[in-house]
Amino acid sequence: MLEILKNPNFDFLGKTKYFLALSALIILGGLGFMLGTGMYLGAGARGYGVEFSGGTQLIIKFEKTPEIDRIRSAVAEATIQTYDAPAKNQVIVRLAAADETNLDEAANRAKAAIAASYPENRIIESSAEIVGPTVGADLRQKAVQLTVWGLVFQLLYITWRFGGAIWGAAATLAVFHDVLVALAFLAFFNYEITLNVIAALLTLVGYSVNDTIVIFDRARENLKLKKKDPLEKILNDSLNQTLTRTLISNGTTFLAVLGLFLFGGEVLRGFGFTMVIGILAGTYSTIYIASPIVVWWQKRQAGRVPSA
Amino acid sequence: MDSLTTNPFLLWLAISVAVGALAWTFLRNELRTRAILYSSFLVACFVSMWPLQEKLKLGLDLKGGMHLILKVVTDDALRATVSDGVSLASSELGRAGMPGAKVMGADIDTFTVEGIEPARAKDARTTLKDFFLSTEWNLNETPAGFSLKLTDPYKRVLKEQTVQESIRTLERRVNVLGVAEPVITAHGSTGDQILIQLPGVTDVVRAKDMIKRTAQLSLKLVENEASTREMLLAPGQTEPPPTMEIVTGAGSEPGTRAFYLVRKEAVITGRDLKNARPSISPETGLPDIQFSLTPTGAQKFGQATGDNVGRRLAVILDGTVESAPVINSRITDSGVIQGTFSQEEADTLAKVLRAGALPATLSFLQEQTVGASLGRDSIRSGVLASAAGMGFITLFMLFYYRLSGVNAVVALSANLLILLGAMAYAGATLTLPGIAGIILTVGVGVDTNVLVFERIREELRSGKTVKTAVNNGFDRVWITILDTHATALIAAAFLFQFGTGAVRGFAITLVWGLVANVFASYFVSKFLFEWVLGERKADTLSI
Repeated sequence: MLEILKNPNFDFLGKTKYFLALSALIILGGLGFMLGTGMYLGAGARGYGVEFSGGTQLIIKFEKTPEIDRIRSAVAEATIQTYDAPAKNQVIVRLAAADETNLDEAANRAKAAIAASYPENRIIESSAEIVGPTVGADLRQKAVQLTVWGLVFQLLYITWRFGGAIWGAAATLAVFHDVLVALAFLAFFNYEITLNVIAALLTLVGYSVNDTIVIFDRARENLKLKKKDPLEKILNDSLNQTLTRTLISNGTTFLAVLGLFLFGGEVLRGFGFTMVIGILAGTYSTIYIASPIVVWWQKRQAGRVPSA
Repeated sequence: MDSLTTNPFLLWLAISVAVGALAWTFLRNELRTRAILYSSFLVACFVSMWPLQEKLKLGLDLKGGMHLILKVVTDDALRATVSDGVSLASSELGRAGMPGAKVMGADIDTFTVEGIEPARAKDARTTLKDFFLSTEWNLNETPAGFSLKLTDPYKRVLKEQTVQESIRTLERRVNVLGVAEPVITAHGSTGDQILIQLPGVTDVVRAKDMIKRTAQLSLKLVENEASTREMLLAPGQTEPPPTMEIVTGAGSEPGTRAFYLVRKEAVITGRDLKNARPSISPETGLPDIQFSLTPTGAQKFGQATGDNVGRRLAVILDGTVESAPVINSRITDSGVIQGTFSQEEADTLAKVLRAGALPATLSFLQEQTVGASLGRDSIRSGVLASAAGMGFITLFMLFYYRLSGVNAVVALSANLLILLGAMAYAGATLTLPGIAGIILTVGVGVDTNVLVFERIREELRSGKTVKTAVNNGFDRVWITILDTHATALIAAAFLFQFGTGAVRGFAITLVWGLVANVFASYFVSKFLFEWVLGERKADTLSI
């Protein structure tokens, strides 16, 4: 039998406060960074993909290596960058908000201008994403609503299954932590929030709850077996008992999404990045956020009702 | 029964249940029954998904193509209804002996009637009540006369009809493009949006022109009608003569389709039309459309119909023959289009003729086009990333769990087989995030195996026999698997609500993957253990 760890017995819950401090640092740092740089937060925030902010995004594939400066001079009002691997001769052109009365006008004008000023380098193919302001605003609202409802239903489910709101609340707070940490890192590394990133965040919500449930389930089982042990010890034992599983399962999934991040191409990069951070955060939060909350709550209740 | 014969998946499912029941009756052996049941189910999945390239639909992000969200300006329909009301009211009041009545549009959903002599107010009211149903119009008295306002339920009906009619018109236009599996549906929660997906369309400009263009009505002289294209051609010819063309559409017999050989040059087109409105034919009692022509149109039409009495004239809308009535006499400034219309169709056709080809203006809210080679790039990277992830997981499981790792790999393969089979069966679309969803499914599948295997190891360490350890391992972990999958399904269900496009594709793979996983990584894996350990007395387990 090949084993990573033999009878692990770490004192996870004894060092909670250091890790809480670390989480607070990342989350507050992230929020501060977002406000300071105007990303994601506040009115007129930047950092949203075209599907949320509205606007025009063109991906143009040229015959030969494109000279960014020449394209820039053809369409002055646009941001232009190389897209994907340089050998693919692709550039991404972003234009400000699209006009709903004539949605593709800006895109066509930009394409025509590039083709006219750059005749020796033919455009082979182009992709376009043009989003009017209505759809963008709708989608933003929907994303927030769906995430919140998803969390509420998970909270209800866990509360029902574990017979106590504190388990559900702890798992949900851990999920909030993970989403905020993922957002902080997305901001630090200057990622755009696209639909794919939202999909990754929602997946992360499911994944993080998953991880917490595995350990809570074990604690539920241990609570029945060892009624005398304090909850803190039971949770710590449960964390140790499931530690190998945590390492293997989360480790393999982590490597799979790392593969997505590294080899998944430009479209999946944001998704991969969010999942990479999210799986790390989800594993960490089960141990250092969800479990301590349950212990803390139980101690508080015990303090209030000493005879229990 | 029909779906059983046409659907290989359902057929196989039925067969596998039948085979399982037979096996149970004759073998009285639970293990063998499960073996037969599981394997025939997996065969069903395989049949459903094979060949993969044909069975699995690729999303626009992988295949290339275009995706449009349009908004129907439903206010147009209200305006048109009010303007119909205005002309109906003034002509009916005139006929009732009140020619001095002033009828005019007051608002988008209201028109007013003024200038009625006080003595005739009661008559006017009766006339208006007769011609404007109270379910459709609210009739109110005002100091100056009357006002008629569309009722809210009728406004909703009008808006809904407008969207449905726009969808039908768009379908007709998209069909001309010859796109395989186009999607044209109502979209969003506001009820006035239409989603169009045209997979594989490369000529974006032409496609958009086709969708956006207005009024394509023409009336052309019919030379011949037949049930096939070949019957209209001269012997040995593949094309009609240069001055002729062949169009399809409704045949002379109701409910049939026919081919028409028509003169290429149109007698008149939509531009020659001044007005059109639905009415009821006094002879047949069927709904028809009365139209009036501009002076130049009337001149052209009078000439052509006068010269061709007795011949047929095809009414061609957006390239499709709507009807081909016989010219009974010379028609100058106004005429009637007769066909097999329902009242609703006649209403719409009249609106279409008046406004262009669509009952209401469309505005574009969102447009996405993906070039085919960009799509191919995406598939390549997605498949590469998946293969890398799966290869790594397979190697790790074999290395770490030895023979039990083989069990996990078999379970994972079964998982993928079920996932792809179910997706092919349900006609689900695979998108790039969907590929990512498959990788996550593999991750969750491995988690199930790991949970079970680690539990079995624990049991073995505490000195249980191999069989007990395996049984306990699976039993204890069942609750956890149930809870983790249920919460993940909750998250996936909300993702699915995100509407169309790539994210929905991701949610679909996630949902199917989770379901497949419970079957494969729990039940199939459990069966494999029991089957291997079943006959002999095992002292050790390779785990």
